[in-house]
Amino acid sequence: MQIVQVLAYGILLGGIYALLASGVTLIFGVLDVVNVAQGAFLVFSALFTWQIWDTVGIEPLLLIPVMGVLMGTIGWAIYRGMLVRVVPQGPGMTVLLMFGVALTMEGILNIVFGNKFKSVTPDYFTSSVKLGDIVLPMPQLISGVLAIVVLGGIYAYLRFSWAGRALRASSQNRDGAALIGISHKKAAGFAFAIGAATAGVGGVLLAIMYPIFPATHYEWIARLLGVVVLGGFGSIPGAVIAALLLGTMESFASTFVPQWAPLFFYGTILLILVFRPNGIMGSKTREDVA
Amino acid sequence: MREKLKHPRGYVPVILLVLLGLAPLILPDSSYEQSVLIACMLLAIMASGWNLISGLAGYVSLGHGVYLGIGMYTGAVLSKAWDIEPMYLMPLGAVTTAIVAIGVGAIVLRTRSHSFVIITIAVLWTFQLLAQVAKPITGGADGIVIPPPPWARDLGNLPYFYLFFTVLILTILLAWFVMNSRLGAGLVAIRNDEGKAASIGINTTLYKITAYALSAIPFGVAGVLYGQYLSFVNPLGAFGILTSVILVLAALIGGRGTLWGPVIGGFIIALANEFATVSAGGVSARVLIMGIVLILTVMFLPAGLLPSISAAIRKRRSKSQTVKFIDQSSIAKSRTEVDTRAIQSRSLGTVGSSEMILEVQNLVKSFGGVHAVDGVSLGIERGSITGLIGPNGSGKTTLFNCMTGTFSPNSGKVLLDGVEITKDRVWTRAHEGLGRTFQITRLFKSMTVLDNLVAPLEKTSVKQMVAGRYAGDEVDRAREILGFMGLQEFEKQNAAALSFGQQKLVELAQVLMLRPSIILLDEPASGINPTLIEKLANVIRRLNEAGTTVLIVEHNIPLVLSLCSQVHVLAAGQVLTSGTPEEIRNDPLVIEAYLGPDHLLEVPIV
Repeated sequence: MQIVQVLAYGILLGGIYALLASGVTLIFGVLDVVNVAQGAFLVFSALFTWQIWDTVGIEPLLLIPVMGVLMGTIGWAIYRGMLVRVVPQGPGMTVLLMFGVALTMEGILNIVFGNKFKSVTPDYFTSSVKLGDIVLPMPQLISGVLAIVVLGGIYAYLRFSWAGRALRASSQNRDGAALIGISHKKAAGFAFAIGAATAGVGGVLLAIMYPIFPATHYEWIARLLGVVVLGGFGSIPGAVIAALLLGTMESFASTFVPQWAPLFFYGTILLILVFRPNGIMGSKTREDVA
Repeated sequence: MREKLKHPRGYVPVILLVLLGLAPLILPDSSYEQSVLIACMLLAIMASGWNLISGLAGYVSLGHGVYLGIGMYTGAVLSKAWDIEPMYLMPLGAVTTAIVAIGVGAIVLRTRSHSFVIITIAVLWTFQLLAQVAKPITGGADGIVIPPPPWARDLGNLPYFYLFFTVLILTILLAWFVMNSRLGAGLVAIRNDEGKAASIGINTTLYKITAYALSAIPFGVAGVLYGQYLSFVNPLGAFGILTSVILVLAALIGGRGTLWGPVIGGFIIALANEFATVSAGGVSARVLIMGIVLILTVMFLPAGLLPSISAAIRKRRSKSQTVKFIDQSSIAKSRTEVDTRAIQSRSLGTVGSSEMILEVQNLVKSFGGVHAVDGVSLGIERGSITGLIGPNGSGKTTLFNCMTGTFSPNSGKVLLDGVEITKDRVWTRAHEGLGRTFQITRLFKSMTVLDNLVAPLEKTSVKQMVAGRYAGDEVDRAREILGFMGLQEFEKQNAAALSFGQQKLVELAQVLMLRPSIILLDEPASGINPTLIEKLANVIRRLNEAGTTVLIVEHNIPLVLSLCSQVHVLAAGQVLTSGTPEEIRNDPLVIEAYLGPDHLLEVPIV
């Protein structure tokens, strides 16, 4: 029975990873930019959630839309203010720019919140739910389910709305999309805003699950990038598969060989990349006429 | 390089280095200043090392600090186990980092651009975790304490200063050596266009792994020393991500790909770092300031200080120099007297084992459900000019890519001179005598025409990698070939400055440097003017007379029919028919599938 418990826990964890990583992979798909500041966005959102909860005492889950919109706006501003100028210089430079953004955010958060762990602990923080023989902690259950719901919503939006189709068009063929009236700049700004908004939502979910302090953004971005690389850059289904795989694996490893759990995470990624350098759902494209 | 050194400006960094070496004598009793200079030198060492893989080859590593950590642990662990001073283990630090870098490089260099950046960070974290987990060896999270150095206390940091200084000098020499070698030229070619580099015989895997290992060595040597200097090694300190980011910032702000840029950048950033920590409020401020400097550098000084300064100087000076105008018509006239050895095919005079120099048998290549090449068998006769035509999407370029090794076919064989080469890598095929050009030219745009021509390699050998960039007779042969093509005037031009048609000729000249026995030309006449097409046709005929077999994919039917002795027609991934130009011209199948009924109205242009 322990196996089922560990599996359920892993799927919930994977769901959260999937939501967080989908933001990174969406931004990559449309902009060709690896947003290494996504972890900083997450921690930023989580610490602001903590601040509001600590001052006002509001139910943290109600902050989900607020933080989503806030981070979306910040993300859009970062794209229009800085990133749009650096994109033409290629992937190495955009990664470095976003690293600069991450460090700047970390520095600001350090000064504002200090280098201490903060936890959001609403009254359900220590409760758990029993489903037959399986016992799931309430915060993990709520976060996991909400993450899957939000991710489903985003996926449906990209799939079925006009704006979503425009985004996908722009990510598959930038010039072709421009010819039929889709401004790449607008599509890219929108994609970056949505990607950042997932970090806003994810930050709230993290805040009720884990203690947070500014430098934990490295740990989070490490996992998200692991998921995205493994899934194949730019592929949301790939990211979901990789997230569930790594979430489950982490859950098993931390139950049975706790000390080695993080190593399993990176070990798997390195191993899979030996055989599939472009990730699970990545593809090698024709390069001779590029 | 030698030319640069003759210029007075070339001596400036050398003088600065000498001054640095004299600093402790000028400023005696300056333990603090020495420790700041040590931080500067360490960062300069790391930035210069990083520059070899990330500046030259363009593979941006964001986790290169891992090799400093490995050096630190090498010194700490082994000095404890063997009971010797860590600094004697500095050469061993080079060995362990090189070994680890070769192993890691073999994995991570399989990925490119974005994935590579991410994977390098993952490697750093993996080693941090390993150091934490492997408690019996590394002491786990508590780390290892290293006893104080053997010298008298009142010497302070002075011996460390000169040890770091020595490592810095050695690192700069290593960088200088690599940049002026064939290896360095190959790495720049890889940065420009990796697929193209492979097609002209550069063993890209070997080159990248070599550069990666060489770039790690200075880290390993400095790491052993740095561990003893700190007298303490722990996982977070040894494998911190911030070190890796700061060293990239240093190389960036000084100028990637240059010899002195990373060194100067190292001093600038280490000084800024020290200032932030001491005067602006400690660690939090340091992270904030580094973040802001990184953003500003990427946005406003992406090329780095040194390249920007030299560009500004060049701009000021160029007012007094006029750009040389090159008469178009001079290209159309090629020199008549040419040393034909320069364009001679390697197979000339040797009797091959097979009538067919290049052969494919039952070749299949599909992409998802699309059978781009669907069971093609054909042979290219030795010494012929053979055409390959067919409608768009008939699989010509895919077939080409299977022949050259860019794609590996799902099934079937490729034979060169009767020997199967289906599994050979792209550069091996180039070494074996198979050369190719591209439909859209892929010259190395940041290099001059001459540098483009000396880039191809006829074989892979260590001797060649360490040879000087212009060593051997390559330059003479390159000039001879340029003369043969009528391109001698363009020798010093940047490839990007040439017209598309001229670039096509240069690309062909580049392939000739391989002394290929067969050349595959992918739509050589597309997008170039009629004068150049005529010129190209002449070049192809003369190459063929000199013994080279030519295979042409082309939509310019009059050109194909007038040049070729044998033509294969592809349609829907299969060979529709093969024959002489006369047979093809009148074949009803070909007319229906490709040429159209009115093609005979066209007047042959050659």
